[in-house]
Amino acid sequence: MNVSESIWIALDAVRSQKMRSSLTLLSIGIGVFAIIASTGITGTLQNALTGQLADLGENSFLIQRTPTIQFGNSWRKYRKRPNISLEQANEFKERMTLTNLISVSNTSPGFTIKSGLESTNPDVSLIGIDEMYFLVNAPMLRDGRPVTEQDVALISNVALVGTDVVKSLFSDGKSLGRSITIKNQEFTIVGELEPKGGVLGQSQDNRVLVPISVYVKYYTPWWDASVDISVKSIAKEAQPATMDEAIGAMRLIRECKPWDENNFELDGNEAIGGQFANLSVAILAVAWISGIGALAAAGIGIMNMMLVSVQERTREIGVRKALGAKRKWIVRQFLVESVTLCQLGGLTGVIGGIGTTWLVSYYLQQSMPNLQFEIPWFAVVFSVVVCTMIGIGFGLYPAYKAAGLDPIEALRHE
Amino acid sequence: MTQPDQQPIISISHIAKVYEMGDEQVHALRDVSLTIGANEYIALMGPSGSGKSTLMNMLGCLDTPSSGTYLFNGENVSDLNDDELAEIRNREIGFVFQTFNLLPRATALQNVELPLVYAGIAKAKRIEMAEQSLTHVGLDDRMDHKPNELSGGQRQRVAIARALVTNPSIILADEPTGNLDSKTGQDIMNLFNELWRAGNTVILVTHEEDIARHAHRIVRMRDGLIESDEANTKPLT
Ligand SMILES: Nc1ncnc2c1ncn2[C@@H]1O[C@H](COP(=O)(O)OP(=O)(O)O)[C@@H](O)[C@H]1O
Ligand SMILES: [Mg+2]
Repeated sequence: MNVSESIWIALDAVRSQKMRSSLTLLSIGIGVFAIIASTGITGTLQNALTGQLADLGENSFLIQRTPTIQFGNSWRKYRKRPNISLEQANEFKERMTLTNLISVSNTSPGFTIKSGLESTNPDVSLIGIDEMYFLVNAPMLRDGRPVTEQDVALISNVALVGTDVVKSLFSDGKSLGRSITIKNQEFTIVGELEPKGGVLGQSQDNRVLVPISVYVKYYTPWWDASVDISVKSIAKEAQPATMDEAIGAMRLIRECKPWDENNFELDGNEAIGGQFANLSVAILAVAWISGIGALAAAGIGIMNMMLVSVQERTREIGVRKALGAKRKWIVRQFLVESVTLCQLGGLTGVIGGIGTTWLVSYYLQQSMPNLQFEIPWFAVVFSVVVCTMIGIGFGLYPAYKAAGLDPIEALRHE
Repeated sequence: MTQPDQQPIISISHIAKVYEMGDEQVHALRDVSLTIGANEYIALMGPSGSGKSTLMNMLGCLDTPSSGTYLFNGENVSDLNDDELAEIRNREIGFVFQTFNLLPRATALQNVELPLVYAGIAKAKRIEMAEQSLTHVGLDDRMDHKPNELSGGQRQRVAIARALVTNPSIILADEPTGNLDSKTGQDIMNLFNELWRAGNTVILVTHEEDIARHAHRIVRMRDGLIESDEANTKPLT
């Protein structure tokens, strides 16, 4: 009896007051959902972005077909933009005069790498790179050699591997000179990357690098047939001029008329980080405020349900008091009931919020290989705590009302 | 009948209870004195509105008097607070109501367990005691039934088992047969007789002479006063 009984009574109350309780539980669910989903999604994006920004070194900017961060309906605007082909990227390299630190690359997630009988999980990022990659981007070589101009030109099947991949394929930890298979293509390992460790719990070492020409030939995914161009200015002061030149060059190559907008995106390190930080703060603020608002409104609903419950069970309360229930027993019984109701609503929100975070991460992974699903534990704990507090806070008045009933009056209640 | 060689369980003197109804004052009890000893069997009779239930509630520590003193086992309960009264009810008093007042969602066993929960008795011990009490009233084969799966007489037996389970000093029954047919009412009265023979103190409110004839002492009330308090020389026990 006692606690488990109160829980059953709470479930019973939900059943007998379907309409009222489903609305109340729904609004708790929505509140919790808003908090968890927003925290989960922005957190996941933040992770992905941090990974991407870490790759892009200082004084650098990125030229892509579409911006790193897209929200709302903007994808419609970008959909018609032509891909940046490898040829365009090569032409761009030739036209640029202010810097020659220009690297062409593209990334896609979800590859399985095999070697003999060993194989990795299907979560390895495959990155196509050129000979400039290590000069422009942050990754470092630990052993072996980088991809050369010749590798790109000859479309050679050579690969550089991250330490996670080495660990899962080669028990002796040696990789140079060995061969691996990626979707039926055999590669010789010519280099190993310096381990970078995790960024926010996500490994940066689970990757394989191949020449961009090889990547384009065999692995270009249907949803992203465009390469990315990383540009590094000679010095910080040269950045604005370099960007201007880059925009001019790209417009020329991609045949923009003077009145056309750019049909590509140019994002600096700070620009991307700043945009995202502002945006995620805004999203979080709106979601948390409306989430907490929904929870507060639900609290009123909970109080109502509990008052009805006290009213309906007045006689039962009288019986309990006659049998010797002290005030604290009655208070406890009704608090357990209201907390149970709140947790029930909260549970739907937690499941929905985590599910949505997972779905969004899954979808976004197609274009952001650094992105990795992560349960927003902080928000989950916060929601459970808030639901408990609401259950207690709004259940307190009905519970004390019940405990204060005169046993004789209560027993006489029809 | 009072046994002078023993300390009485209940001793009330010059008790009054006044209800304020707006400007009006209702004198439910005017000046009632009564002494009840261990193992007495008392019927409280009187016309409707004479104050029987008010007196029962007072005896059962559900209510406190407006004036006068009430000693329960020598302890003055007139000015105890809610929780202290609850503790006395839990330990010392077993209630049997006209309308049974069982919890509809709970099984017979759980209903009988309830007073033991509030007494803070551990689960295993509670179940053992509740089973014993139900067996005592002849319901050993109905422990897991909900009240709506039981007949009226069986429900009242569950209620009696619940009243007995804490081994209280007195059993208070307000019209315990009022909602039962006369045959079932007889069975329930036989059960009360049995409890009395086993040493329990029984006080029952009734307006039926047939029922009252089982008791050994009959207290008649009128207008908030005790009209007569006599021994029943030929009880039907
Ligand atoms: N809570 C109350 N408020 C006001 N008057 C009450 C209340 N309880 C009982 N009374 C009055 O007190 C008197 C005695 O009632 P009661 O003890 O219930 O009588 P009985 O049980 O003998 O029928 C009646 O006049 C009744 O109307
Ligand atoms: Mg009455």
